[in-house]
Amino acid sequence: MRPREIRVVERLQPAPDCVELVCEFPEDEGPQSGQFYMLSVGDGRDTYLPRPFSFYRVFSPRRLSFLFRVVGPGTRFLAGLRPRDRLQAMGPLGRGFPLPDGPERAVLVAGGVGVPPLWSLARSLLGLGCEVTALLGARTRSAVLGRPELEALGIQVLTATDDGSMGHRGPVTELLGGIEADGLYACGPEGMLRAVRDIAAARPLPRTYLALEAAMACGYGICLGCAVERAQPDPALGAYGTYARVCREGPVFRWDEVRI
Amino acid sequence: MEMQARVGRLLFKNPVLTASGTFGYGREAAELYDLSLLGGVMVKGVSRDPWPGNGPIRIARIPGGMLNAIGLQNPGLRHFLEVDLPFLRHYDTQVIVNVVGHDEAGFVDVVRGVHGQPGVAGIELNISCPNVADGLLFSQDPDRAGRLVGLVRQETSLPLIVKLSPNVTDPVEIGAACQAAGADALSAINTVIGMAIDVERRRPVIGIGSAGISGPALKPVALRIVYDLARKLDIPVIGIGGIESGRDALEYLMAGARAVAVGTAVFRDPLAPPRIVAELARELAAQGFAAVDEAWAAANPEARRRQSR
Ligand SMILES: Cc1cc2nc3c(=O)[nH]c(=O)nc-3n(C[C@H](O)[C@H](O)[C@H](O)COP(=O)(O)OP(=O)(O)OC[C@H]3O[C@@H](n4cnc5c(N)ncnc54)[C@H](O)[C@@H]3O)c2cc1C
Ligand SMILES: Cc1cc2nc3c(=O)[nH]c(=O)nc-3n(C[C@H](O)[C@H](O)[C@H](O)COP(=O)(O)O)c2cc1C
Ligand code: FES
Repeated sequence: MRPREIRVVERLQPAPDCVELVCEFPEDEGPQSGQFYMLSVGDGRDTYLPRPFSFYRVFSPRRLSFLFRVVGPGTRFLAGLRPRDRLQAMGPLGRGFPLPDGPERAVLVAGGVGVPPLWSLARSLLGLGCEVTALLGARTRSAVLGRPELEALGIQVLTATDDGSMGHRGPVTELLGGIEADGLYACGPEGMLRAVRDIAAARPLPRTYLALEAAMACGYGICLGCAVERAQPDPALGAYGTYARVCREGPVFRWDEVRI
Repeated sequence: MEMQARVGRLLFKNPVLTASGTFGYGREAAELYDLSLLGGVMVKGVSRDPWPGNGPIRIARIPGGMLNAIGLQNPGLRHFLEVDLPFLRHYDTQVIVNVVGHDEAGFVDVVRGVHGQPGVAGIELNISCPNVADGLLFSQDPDRAGRLVGLVRQETSLPLIVKLSPNVTDPVEIGAACQAAGADALSAINTVIGMAIDVERRRPVIGIGSAGISGPALKPVALRIVYDLARKLDIPVIGIGGIESGRDALEYLMAGARAVAVGTAVFRDPLAPPRIVAELARELAAQGFAAVDEAWAAANPEARRRQSR
């Protein structure tokens, strides 16, 4: 974890309100899938604090991308960046997805803008000889993100949309019904994560991991702003152990480690 | 540049400290730079027993800063003494222990536990946290503030700093009560109580509703309070609120602070504290000062007159 200046080298627009910024880092990076960076988003109104973003694609050891939907002032600032613009990045931060010891049937579940941490995870899992399937959910066809990029890795991709405009009509978690899995890796809105957790509990599927979000100020463990309730607090910590830090103990948690 | 700063009995190698609650117990920042570069560190509030803190959401973004309602989540006195303080002893910097309690006995117990421990330079009483139910109990009433300081004073000879709240009509009145009860110094200010509303969810953004404003938005509020404390009281003041640069730090010194502490800025720039030390040295030189002391109260003639009396 280090703060440094990175440079935008390419700006892609995979969906109308979504931008992928490919960035050049000053040194080789080796982040774990699921780790994130705090990106500075200018010094205008409402953009005092940096914002957390998972890294998305890895093009070379120094070239990573970020994928985001424009939802507010911070993402609007980032969407306005162009090649050669510079920004501050602090990271890599947090604890990413743990990889299996050997080949497994791995299923990745993304809702909305949940795909970024799963792209590099798919690549690592493939490298381990896993059979990887990705399930992508969104409101509608144009909001489905990451499909061509994941397919380019050579994995199976299934989609679900709320309006049925692409793939299954309904929540993406309904696609899990017909799929055998040894490991489940999910990133997306809280409702989707709860559904994945319930499936993990019902099957049971102990190797289920959830990438959480929380409101963050620092991203590196010092503000205690990103609290999530622990399911089994460490008795040695007393009441202090009620909450974990999403930025440090997470953002990836096993399904039974937190109460969401 | 002579960077030494004296705050009453406390001597800092430079006047830049880290504020309580925005630095944890130093472990994370130590991954980024040598903590010995700092004049001092004010650690996260320590209570007798571990505190869980508030439920989410604890953070909101606002123009010019942030809101927080952490609720003083901390691992408690024992953990601090066994794990956190030994870590901080590795660094050549002054450790100020920020103390919190639900009641007088809670404060007193922590002070007793900290007194006599090697590596503790001083104590900061946090009587001004707006984010726990009884947090402002002692900071809004001069009699209660004075009584608490008096009780703690009997327990320790360590330098005692009292952290004042801006959420009062007249901070000077509270500061005067602390001075009379034996405080060595004041730190000003803690966060201003505020709120943000989530329009879609139709409720306050912060889980518990209200929260503390910090960051640059706080600086003018804090500067005015520091200025008034310096011209009306005799004990030294540590200025806190929205400090992001050496120039901000210099403003505080000129207003009458003997030292400053950097809080929220470390979220935006994790390297802010050592950067501010370097910038302050340059700013002092640019203004023709040869030492930190010379800049003290440069913009506050009443404070200077008071001191020379
Ligand atoms: C570890 C982590 C990784 C992330 N990775 C990505 C990523 O790869 N791509 C991406 O698009 N986004 C990601 N996010 C979310 C991203 O940080 C927020 O969307 C961003 O901060 C919004 O900033 P803004 O100023 O544009 O919008 P804001 O105005 O701050 O927010 C816009 C709307 O989103 C809501 N919101 C903002 N932040 C959060 C949050 N953390 N949780 C729930 N609701 C929120 C606000 O309430 C508001 O309604 C990640 C978040 C975390 C914690
Ligand atoms: C996330 C956060 C946690 C804080 N925790 C404490 C604390 O434990 N004890 C305390 O005395 N002040 C605490 N404060 C207040 C700061 O020390 C400081 O007084 C205030 O934030 C103003 O300074 P700033 O604008 O530089 O942040 C906290 C502030 C923030 C933002
Ligand atoms: S965001 Fe500051 S502790 Fe997690």
